[in-house]
Amino acid sequence: MTTEQMAPNSSINLTSHDDVVRVEDLKVSFYTQLGVVRALNGVSFNIPRGRVLGIVGESGCGKSITGLSIMQLVVGAGRTEAGRIMFREYAGQEPPVNILDYGKNSPEMRKIRGNNISMIFQEPMSSLNPCYTIGNQIEEAILLHQTNDKSEASKRAIEVLNKVGMPNPARIAASYPHELSGGMRQRAMIAMALSCNPTLLIADEPTTALDVTTEAQILDLMRGLQSEIGTSIMFITHNMGVVAQMCDEVAVMYMGRVVERATVDDIFYEPRHPYTISLLQSIPRLGRRSGKLASIEGSVPDPYSTTPGCSFHPRCPVAIKGLCDTIEPQETIVDAAKGHTVRCHLNS
Amino acid sequence: MAVDATKLPNTAPAVEDVGTIPQWKLMVRRFRKSKLSVAGLIMLIVLYTLMFLSDFIAPYQHNRIDSNYAWAPPSQLGFANGKVVTYALKQTLDEVRFEWIYAPDLENPIPVEFFVQGYEYRLLGFIPSKLHLFGVPDGSQINLIGADKDGKDVFSRLLKGSQISLTLGFVGVLISVIIGSIVGTASGYFGGAIDNIIQRLIELLRSFPDIPLFLGLAAALPMGVPVEVRFFLITIIIAMIGWTGLAREVRAKVMAFRASDYTSAAIAAGASHWHVITRHLIPNAMSHIIVVGTLAIPGAIGSETALSFLGLGILPPAVSWGVMLRDAQTIEAITNYPWMLLPVGVLIIAVLSFYLLGDGVRDAVDPYA
Amino acid sequence: MLNFIARRLINMVVLLVVVSFVGFFIIQLPPGSILDVQLTKMRAMGGDISRDQMKAMAERYGINQPFSTRYYKWISRSVQGDFGTSFATDQSVGDRIWGRLSISLGLSLFALLFTWLVSIPIGVYSATHRYTVPDYIVTLFQFIGLAIPGFLLALVMLIVATRYFNQQVGGLYSSEYQDAPMSLAKLRNLIEHVWIAVFVLAIGATAGLTRVMRANLLDVLNMQYIQTARAKGLDEAIVIWKHAVRNAIHPLVAALGTLLPALVVGETLVAQVLSLPTIGPMYLDALRQQDMYLAGTILVLLSALLLIGNLVSDLLLAWVDPRVRLE
Repeated sequence: MTTEQMAPNSSINLTSHDDVVRVEDLKVSFYTQLGVVRALNGVSFNIPRGRVLGIVGESGCGKSITGLSIMQLVVGAGRTEAGRIMFREYAGQEPPVNILDYGKNSPEMRKIRGNNISMIFQEPMSSLNPCYTIGNQIEEAILLHQTNDKSEASKRAIEVLNKVGMPNPARIAASYPHELSGGMRQRAMIAMALSCNPTLLIADEPTTALDVTTEAQILDLMRGLQSEIGTSIMFITHNMGVVAQMCDEVAVMYMGRVVERATVDDIFYEPRHPYTISLLQSIPRLGRRSGKLASIEGSVPDPYSTTPGCSFHPRCPVAIKGLCDTIEPQETIVDAAKGHTVRCHLNS
Repeated sequence: MAVDATKLPNTAPAVEDVGTIPQWKLMVRRFRKSKLSVAGLIMLIVLYTLMFLSDFIAPYQHNRIDSNYAWAPPSQLGFANGKVVTYALKQTLDEVRFEWIYAPDLENPIPVEFFVQGYEYRLLGFIPSKLHLFGVPDGSQINLIGADKDGKDVFSRLLKGSQISLTLGFVGVLISVIIGSIVGTASGYFGGAIDNIIQRLIELLRSFPDIPLFLGLAAALPMGVPVEVRFFLITIIIAMIGWTGLAREVRAKVMAFRASDYTSAAIAAGASHWHVITRHLIPNAMSHIIVVGTLAIPGAIGSETALSFLGLGILPPAVSWGVMLRDAQTIEAITNYPWMLLPVGVLIIAVLSFYLLGDGVRDAVDPYA
Repeated sequence: MLNFIARRLINMVVLLVVVSFVGFFIIQLPPGSILDVQLTKMRAMGGDISRDQMKAMAERYGINQPFSTRYYKWISRSVQGDFGTSFATDQSVGDRIWGRLSISLGLSLFALLFTWLVSIPIGVYSATHRYTVPDYIVTLFQFIGLAIPGFLLALVMLIVATRYFNQQVGGLYSSEYQDAPMSLAKLRNLIEHVWIAVFVLAIGATAGLTRVMRANLLDVLNMQYIQTARAKGLDEAIVIWKHAVRNAIHPLVAALGTLLPALVVGETLVAQVLSLPTIGPMYLDALRQQDMYLAGTILVLLSALLLIGNLVSDLLLAWVDPRVRLE
């Protein structure tokens, strides 16, 4: 655990007016040939300014869709059915902007994308266009949002490449994606994302596809840049170890809902939701050789069905018959001062 | 897992069986989603059924000549005394253009009889029979869609022609699929020198533009051989030119599967080449092979037609749609006798149906589409 | 890059030699020597050939000599540009081939241009408006375009043009311009004559390439870098045209190599119907009359065209996609 990395005041008010983004009751469904997939079933959380919020959960729980929804980049059969995404570009901006009011390809939305909110994706190997040089692709964003001067843009592109620790930024700028390693490409992606000094950076499992050493370097870099620039980060991951290393606060997602929301300390030391507890128990630990690694019974239910009651009850070790399988638990406050909430009948 | 079906909108089918139903059922389900492809499949079933029954349905032999009916227009049909009738033709000579002008003799209805005796044939190639679906008494003639310059019944010729036009391309592609699969699999699986030799050979064959090569080979075929032999030789030419593209695609697929973990696992477990190829590679490449094959058939059918149209393919007295179209080359022919163009209509339907079918199959077998 | 071109050129020359060998083998397959054909023709015209003439011709074409010698005689003359005298017309083959080949090439280039200009935008529209009514209509037209034989389309357009637009089609020029020097009016006349041919030639390939473009673009649109481009705040039109199309266009560039010779010969039937003086009917006539030296020369020339087309498309591909440059 790297507790010294955490900011000193972990306590933050839930209803703070200094949230970069507040997601309220977001519902997104996918209409596929085989049926309707309810990807998000009323997701609510906030991202405080200047801090790192981790979004944790198994594959298919809706983490990535949440990130894409904030960018309005959900493609294909995805439809936003309800909810608001309130965005404040600067502290105290009143009223905040509801991103969902803008059309997907509207000028307002495009001004936010890449400029105020930017995003890094999971696959560094495929997230850069193979036909253009790294420099060209970074300049594109700068020219769009910051300056019209081409030479100024390329100067800034090299600057930002330097900032993300590229050994020879001018040469890297002139090279094509296929000439770089995965770690280098992810650095280039981070450079691109940070090139316009965004208010919020959404990082969708940015290190999952990388090897452990590169992962550590990239995490270090992001953490360093975050404290330097003060950008808020929404860090999507399934790896609790990465959460401990990166995040100030955590939202745990299960089946398209946030089931627990707390500071990183509380998540690790005072978890309330049985799902969070199971997640923590399934982290392998050094020096503890007590046989089998704990795992969560069962698997994520098939996405086409809807579960009555608490969505976790079929796998929950402490589910109450007659309650958990019929009534959906509401979000309850565990510790208002630290903003710790949970969706579980055992805590209400 | 309980499913609350009432909460799902109507667009969603019952889905409790997702993950438990076999792959092929999912494919059938996806295929049936594409209405156009289903229509293509139905059209093909109809066309091939007609082809198999062509001698039964055709009232006349395809090369039966009757100069009294040269360029006779489609027979007019009507009802009289509760029976289907047609009318005899009144011929008058246009003395300026020196052509027969036909008009139906409405005073003189001829009853159309069903299940009549006619010329002898072998149904499906082995059942001897004289029975025909319909016919008119001797001394008159029924030409459902007109007659050609020798008074040959176009309807009968169209049916008879389908026997060549619908099978030649199909068989040619079948042979090229077999050759292409074997060569492509060998090339992709064994790699090394074998792959190198095969790829050079394919490169050489592909250095010839295919249509001229096609024409050149067809021109080299001996004249004056029986129809069956010529049919067979043209089939071979189609197959010889077609297999290279398929071999390349199969090779690429096989190489990808060869590099995959499950193949490595099978080899590590001591599986023989034969086992790996037949159990892991071919089944995986199969859907792709079927799709490519289906989409190659219309091209092959078109090649036969073009070849026959140019006089280098099937030769009269045998008949295929391409042979029939030789009579529809001029503006005069198709403005005066538009029914001569009907083979094109059937050809377009057949080709279109194969394209639609292949397209639907491709979408159905590709789970990521 | 130079290395790449040099290697490809050497490969091409080697292939051409082998192709000419195989081509010659195919064209001398038909039974009966060329001399027989010639003799029958002369006799049919009422004349006869003297013994000396026959000897000279036997010498020239290497009749009664082994295959390798005949091949050598043919290829060495071809390389020098002496394609021999055609049996059918007793005219210098070289002049006739070049004249017709250049018309064919011109027509095909126009058809290719048409194909590209139409199939890219329509393919893009169809892919970005998937499962909408216009997409279905485009799909339907594509299938019809693929299924309709070119010569039929030529016939129909011929009828429409002559009947309803009172246009003279067929051939390259109207009779009054046949021998006139090139002028604007003559050019206009030419365009009036060949637009049907270009259209008919292009329609099949356009239908095919539109489908390819649509399918490819759909694949590319699922790529992560498209999301990256959108996440930058780029306008959707720029995302599509700058980031997606450039990655989806490979098969269209690659098709250039095969399309050009296919178009050059694909017009055989169309040219037949429209009576255009192109290479296709010439090749066909040569085959029918068993004028195998002429046919063989055309076959090898077309192969050369195919190989050149492939080289050009490879170079274009390297220009479009930086990943190809390394190989």
